[in-house]
Amino acid sequence: MASNTGKLLRVNLSSGKVSTESVPESVAADYIGGRGYGVRYLYQELTPGTDPLGEENKLLMLNGPLAGTMAQAVSRWMVCTKSPLTGAFARSVCGADFGAWLKFAGYEIIIVEGKAEKPVYVHLAPDGCQILDAGEIWGKDTKETQAWLDKQHGKNTRTACIGPAGENLVKYAAIVSDRRTAGRCGTGAVMGSKNLKAIAVTAQRRTQLADPEAYDKLAREQVNIIRNNPGFQNHKEWGTTATQDVTNAIGIYPVRNFRYGQQTDYEKIAGEQYRKLRTGDMGCYSCPARCGKVHTVTSGIYAGAHSEGPEYESIWVFTGPIESNSIEASIAADQLCDDLGLDTISTGGCIGFAYELYEKGLLKKSDTDGLELLYGRHEPMVALVKKIARREGIGNLLAEGTMRAAASIGKGAEAYAMHVKGLELPAYEPRGAKSQGYNYVTASVGASHCYGYAAQDIFGAPFPRPTDRFSEENADVVIFNQDGTASRETGIVCGFAGGWGWAADLFGKLLASARGIDSFADNDYLDRVGERIFNLERAFNVREGFNRKQDTLPGRMLTEPLHTRKAPGEGQIVSHQEEFLDKYYQLRGWTKEGIPTPEKLKELGLDFVLGDITAH
Amino acid sequence: MSIEVSIPPFLQPLADNLKRVEVTGNTVGECLEALAKKYPRLKARLFVKMGKLPGGMNIYVNGESVYPDAVARQVRDGDKIHLAYLIFGG
Repeated sequence: MASNTGKLLRVNLSSGKVSTESVPESVAADYIGGRGYGVRYLYQELTPGTDPLGEENKLLMLNGPLAGTMAQAVSRWMVCTKSPLTGAFARSVCGADFGAWLKFAGYEIIIVEGKAEKPVYVHLAPDGCQILDAGEIWGKDTKETQAWLDKQHGKNTRTACIGPAGENLVKYAAIVSDRRTAGRCGTGAVMGSKNLKAIAVTAQRRTQLADPEAYDKLAREQVNIIRNNPGFQNHKEWGTTATQDVTNAIGIYPVRNFRYGQQTDYEKIAGEQYRKLRTGDMGCYSCPARCGKVHTVTSGIYAGAHSEGPEYESIWVFTGPIESNSIEASIAADQLCDDLGLDTISTGGCIGFAYELYEKGLLKKSDTDGLELLYGRHEPMVALVKKIARREGIGNLLAEGTMRAAASIGKGAEAYAMHVKGLELPAYEPRGAKSQGYNYVTASVGASHCYGYAAQDIFGAPFPRPTDRFSEENADVVIFNQDGTASRETGIVCGFAGGWGWAADLFGKLLASARGIDSFADNDYLDRVGERIFNLERAFNVREGFNRKQDTLPGRMLTEPLHTRKAPGEGQIVSHQEEFLDKYYQLRGWTKEGIPTPEKLKELGLDFVLGDITAH
Repeated sequence: MSIEVSIPPFLQPLADNLKRVEVTGNTVGECLEALAKKYPRLKARLFVKMGKLPGGMNIYVNGESVYPDAVARQVRDGDKIHLAYLIFGG
């Protein structure tokens, strides 16, 4: 088989220079693609201490070796950069068609460097790549921007763009493609800081595979397995719009800024209620699940609101933090975030933070532009979404994220900022699902639910072994989840599809036939690549000054008992964080300060990192 | 003949908050029926219709997935059945 390592498009917005490179075979062998390529290139090309919103930061967009093929749920794409929200490594995954289109255009990586003098967009087409004037779309929302680009470049065009939030450098601005987002870590702000409104790709379908015949056979096998899998069928029917039924029942649905684990009258926001407003479904390239459930509000003050979503995280973040039972408000807020280009989780997390500060008297009506931030009242929440995107009034403060906003307010506001490393917490209460909480603590990007999803705690998954969700002695399981996720994100396999019965047997074989590198078919090899990726991300963060000190849950989790109302888990607290970290670092082969040891780095073939982080 | 069934967190409130229950049966299906008999509120969550499991319900015997013929899978004394309600969120 001929080796097929993928191509890289480098676009320098300062000089206007565009160039193409092939990924070296050694890099492909060690990192496979996707997230592996992302951290490898970012680590090599970024100088420590780079300002995330400065000209020197780089923005990487990556698909994986399986993108754009008939294999299902493997055409997602991601953004890697240095996060303006956390100052740490950022990876944010997105769906829709853009990843496949990038592959059709012949590329697996785009690296955007420098800064344009005025707003521009990049257009990649069969006859070349151009940097074009974006004056007409600067200031437009993401829907208007994509419609304009479609009109300019035709229906075979797919776009990744920012909205006003990215232009205004909101620290958690998203990059949006169709109605999907690379939401977390502020990737949209990095794009905005470069005066880059969009990247549009015009291409015709084509595949690039080392062994097309073998690949085709494997992909058909995958399609047959997925079709009858009960997890797939459930996901096709519901997406994630009923997960709140589970998390409320077991007391891990964070309410009132992580004080309660169950929402009062949560039946009013159950999956069945969202089902009543469902008007369609949408999905990603070559995925039959179409798990993005479209909702339309037909009456009341939000009549006309229409969104592909909200999905579970956004259902939660626009209900739980302010304890609102208005599903209509959650749909309206979700739509606004997609239009304006905001990460829903951090947006709602910042709003929940503001509501609690208002309750505690640390924010007054005069500070909130006259808004009364009272629990259950959703109108101010929706108003705040707009203010944040425009950096208007109180929105300018909240646009900085809870960590910076709390530091700016002072007076003890830090106690109410629910983040890890600056990234706002997602929709699983750490005190009731402690392996999930410890994933937040140790994930390279901060509090991401997707970096090592603890299905053991949340749904009773028995692999690699069952867990007690209140136990803090599951460091091995947290590592299993994180390294497995990193391995699958070389693919880039959808986080949901990994559970549809095919991944363990077929993923590696698909990679091997796509790349022409036989060792990818060995699961142990893939595990090792996942571990290598995670360690290189850790090295990136250590080089930026991170260590054990930042590996912590918010103080609330460590000092205040959780209240779960009618659910189990009342009074739970995280009480052994230091012991957990000792064990986790030991199993990882890291020092007591959370720094990979020279032995571990050498074992993983990361010798080039040694000189960079030993001083730390 | 005794079979131990591990119950996922979501369903534990429907089974007196128990994490594990001992039942008897020759197949996974019989064991689940026995479980539903002990805790009737579980029945709707275990079967969408006679002999058919709901989407999202994954079953393991002694740590191994028994998909796709879970209900008919034979079990022996001392076996452990593990129910996982895998719907994921995101």
